Amino acid sequence: MQNKLHIILFLTFALSACSKEIDLDLPGHDPKLVVDGRIETGQPPFVLLSKSQDIFAPTDLNAFLNNYITGALITVSNGTNTIVLDEICTNTLPVEWLPIIAQVFDIAPEELATLELCFYTSLNPVIFGEVGKTYALTIDFENEIYEAETTIVPTVPLDTVFWRESKPNGNKGFSWARLSDPAGVYNAYYWEVKRLGRDDLFRTTLNPAVDDTFFDGLTFEFPYENPFSFDEGEPDTTIGFYLRGDTVVVKFSSLDRPTFQFLESKHIQLNSNGSPFATPINLPSNISNGARGVWAGYSPHFDTLICID
Amino acid sequence: MPWKKHTLIVLSCLSWLIGFAQDVTIQGIVADQQNKAIAAAKVVEITKMNGTFTDDNGYFELKVQKGENIFEFRSIDHKTQRLSIKITKDTSLYIQLETIAGLQELSEVVVSGVGRDQNIQSTKIGNVQLEMKEIRSLPAFMGEYDIIRTLQFMPGVQSASEGTQGLYVRGGGPEQNLVLLDGTHVYNATHLFGFFSVFNADAIQDVELTKVGMPAQYGGRISSVLDIRSRQGGREKLGIQGGVGLLSSRIAVDGPIANGRGDFLVAGRRTYLDLLLTPLIPEESGFAGTGYYFYDLNANLNYKINDNNKISFSSYIGEDEFSFRTDSENFSVDMPWGNAIANVRWRSILSDKTMLNVSAGISDYQFEFLSFQDQFEVGLSSGIRDYIFKADLSYNFSPRHQMRFGGEYIYHRFTPIAVSANQGDVEFDTGEGQRIFSHESALFITSTYDWSERFKTDIGYRHSFYHFIGPFTRYIPSPIGFQQDSIVYANGELIKAYHFAEPRFSARYLINSKSAIKAGWNYNAQYVHLANISTVSLPTDIWFPATDIAGPQHGWQAALGYFRNFLDNNIETSVEIYYKHMNNVVEFKDGALPQDNTQDNTDNLLTLGQGYSYGAEFFIRKNFGVWTGWLGYTLSRTERRFDDINDGNFFPARHDRRHDFSAVMSYRLNDSWTFGLSMVYATGNSITLPNSWYLHNGDVQFEFGDRNMTRMPAYHRLDLSATWFDKPTKTLTDPISGLTTVIQKKWRHSVNFSIYNVYNRQNPFFLFVQNDGSLVDNNFNISLQQVALFPILPSVTWNFEF
Repeated sequence: MQNKLHIILFLTFALSACSKEIDLDLPGHDPKLVVDGRIETGQPPFVLLSKSQDIFAPTDLNAFLNNYITGALITVSNGTNTIVLDEICTNTLPVEWLPIIAQVFDIAPEELATLELCFYTSLNPVIFGEVGKTYALTIDFENEIYEAETTIVPTVPLDTVFWRESKPNGNKGFSWARLSDPAGVYNAYYWEVKRLGRDDLFRTTLNPAVDDTFFDGLTFEFPYENPFSFDEGEPDTTIGFYLRGDTVVVKFSSLDRPTFQFLESKHIQLNSNGSPFATPINLPSNISNGARGVWAGYSPHFDTLICID
Repeated sequence: MPWKKHTLIVLSCLSWLIGFAQDVTIQGIVADQQNKAIAAAKVVEITKMNGTFTDDNGYFELKVQKGENIFEFRSIDHKTQRLSIKITKDTSLYIQLETIAGLQELSEVVVSGVGRDQNIQSTKIGNVQLEMKEIRSLPAFMGEYDIIRTLQFMPGVQSASEGTQGLYVRGGGPEQNLVLLDGTHVYNATHLFGFFSVFNADAIQDVELTKVGMPAQYGGRISSVLDIRSRQGGREKLGIQGGVGLLSSRIAVDGPIANGRGDFLVAGRRTYLDLLLTPLIPEESGFAGTGYYFYDLNANLNYKINDNNKISFSSYIGEDEFSFRTDSENFSVDMPWGNAIANVRWRSILSDKTMLNVSAGISDYQFEFLSFQDQFEVGLSSGIRDYIFKADLSYNFSPRHQMRFGGEYIYHRFTPIAVSANQGDVEFDTGEGQRIFSHESALFITSTYDWSERFKTDIGYRHSFYHFIGPFTRYIPSPIGFQQDSIVYANGELIKAYHFAEPRFSARYLINSKSAIKAGWNYNAQYVHLANISTVSLPTDIWFPATDIAGPQHGWQAALGYFRNFLDNNIETSVEIYYKHMNNVVEFKDGALPQDNTQDNTDNLLTLGQGYSYGAEFFIRKNFGVWTGWLGYTLSRTERRFDDINDGNFFPARHDRRHDFSAVMSYRLNDSWTFGLSMVYATGNSITLPNSWYLHNGDVQFEFGDRNMTRMPAYHRLDLSATWFDKPTKTLTDPISGLTTVIQKKWRHSVNFSIYNVYNRQNPFFLFVQNDGSLVDNNFNISLQQVALFPILPSVTWNFEF
């Protein structure tokens, strides 16, 4: 709540005041291993390795491509099977896997196909994600060992999803859902969407990560905005809304607590980055040995919403 | 001859004793023609040049020899009066001084009502006094005169950032200042997210800031005391004064009551941004539907019961209201916050030597945030309510020795944060609103003693007590960061008790009539914290009292100063050095996210640490003449250390400022025009910025380096003002006789033209790292952006009184 207030204030000042680029010496940093790892129900594990970059390091395409790390030894274990992940590059990737990998990199499939980006995975079905299992990740890189665990928790489905006009005959409105949160257990959720026929990749809303601290055991309805509208040059009056006729796929994932904590902090930082009203936040990683990033387990429920009355 | 030496010593002691044996005491009140007490008027017996000053109530007491004495009564705004009186026994006097005719109230920067050599004679070190009329002669910010903003031009005092009000005194935080309005403390003393203080210029008489060696009657804060006194109403006639500015208008009415036995003052102020600007915002704009205003109201009453008893009442209520609503999207936000303060004071002169002061008051601060969208409603509130009782007794043993002792009690009720949320009929479990109850009390004694003509001390001792009591629920976080267990304390159950010995002293050694060395030292405890996650003072800042895990702040400060006056005290100079050490200062832990009150306590998110500050302050001030003003320079270092931050290493406080220079000047051209100038140069604040980045799922995430290791660009600014006054008199001509008579005008007015930031410097309000473009598209860029708030800002204010 406090952070929302600070974001409002930050945006007010940043938008209404005079802003300009300046040069200033910033303290240097010690590069750290960054792990962007995920495992999802029915999907193979994916791990992207990179190193954190100096704030003013080159940001051209080559620097971006060269920052992904190859040559690491990575294993994933579900307690029964321990699998060594293969290093695969996008230019050798089977076409059917392209949309899935595109989601991991958050790069459109057609663009991804033109790049040589390497990652680690295993197509061995014994290590695909299963609800209720805990997955241990071990990375051996440059004589250092990095370890993490994540659990794919039971899926909590939405009762229903629907669209509600913001005002009569407005032809625009938020997506809504009704959730019955299981009582007595910790639950955390992550909300992603894409519009059928318009978007290749799922995208998160402004505050997609939430846990049930406030609503344990309750049934309630809640709205979510359209995240694509912010980049589409829509008029101010339609930003945030779905339009009548949109078809939206909702991906509503359940998370374990460390994954939620990372994702919650991530989106707070994305929303309030640089604000003088917020405390500087480094994202809480569940990787050992000082690595950044997260090894995240997702337990998604999918639903389709057609924006009609 | 040893016996001769001893005889001389004995004889000299005897003569000294005999001299004192012949002393008699005169006491009395110095007041103006409206019977308003004149504080800090100088009372001097001319022959011996033996003198004293009146206190806040105009009271003085002086030991003189029997016989014919010549007394001089001096006050800066009044005609000096000399009286020759034959004194044969203890005598009481009531002295009325005539206001200087045609005095330009807004004329020049002058030393506030104190004697010309007060800075030399007084034991006070690290002390700043300002009167509203000084403040009014300086450039205004958006048409508003402001006490706090003017104090920020003084050495050792600084703001947090561009235009904001938080006072940082000698490395202390804003919560470490005891801000008193007529003796009752004020918590968040700002309007408009910290850009204006809550103190209306029309309702304030003067202000005194004590940076070290605070007298023992003050306590509860470890950095400074900011004592603000309201203006008394006139005792003779009804008076009205006010002003119209760009941002707000204000009006004050004062006058006598009960046939002059008492007086009243009512002063109000309100902004009209909401009325003027809101209708002009286009509907398509993202700011459409935004509204904001603040108002405040002061009401004071004084009543003289008899010659020895006076009762006073003062009150303040003020509120800010921010709102945003869009009917089309069925969305609204309301955010009101404000203070309410009231106190009653009774002063009784019990005897020639004894005065009793008793007061009771209440201080209340509330903040609320209400958001509504469709059926989803969220509320957040926090607040403080204190009930305060004080009593003290002053006793004058002799003109050389005064004592004061008494006690203070405060009942605190803090609501650090309370959240509610519902979706239609569904109430979300946001936990119980945290409320914290505690008792704070203190006993004190202070003694001012003139050891000799040259050496004088002010020694005080305060012992404070604090009891943190139930009802309260302590949530115990598990090692992995979420609630695991809790302890419930019953109503009134003692949870934790603290007490501190708080000695303090200040001393002055007169080298000669124009120079003095002074020293001050104090040890203070503070039983409230301010959990501030931002660099500026916000209404969302969380105040909470000391608890079982967040113990009281406590610390000490030592200061040494050399004071030297020149040109018949027209030029004051001083150099002060200080060292301050602070324990149990608080910060949020790295990564802490204070969001709600569910299954957690705010203090679980805090880390306690230490801080220190040291520095040197240089000050030159010209008090009289057409040119007046001051130059101040501070060289300082302020650092903090917390076990949980920055690997336990010391790091610069956000307000650490190596160099801080300010210049304030006023030039009185003639009776009609006065010009003002203020200028400041300061080292940039230290902040924490990201020093690296990485990608997660295509999003750029920043990694922050060591705390506060980046220094913002330097801050500097020049403000100018010109004030025009109408003539104070007018000439009437008798149509028959042709005789002319000059009379004082009843209606007076002036116009202040100010320019803030004359050379349009883009001072950094904050910096942030921005990324835009796409890595894949090869146009990705990370840049450092500086946000500046205020460009050149002209303003005009019309002031009137009659």
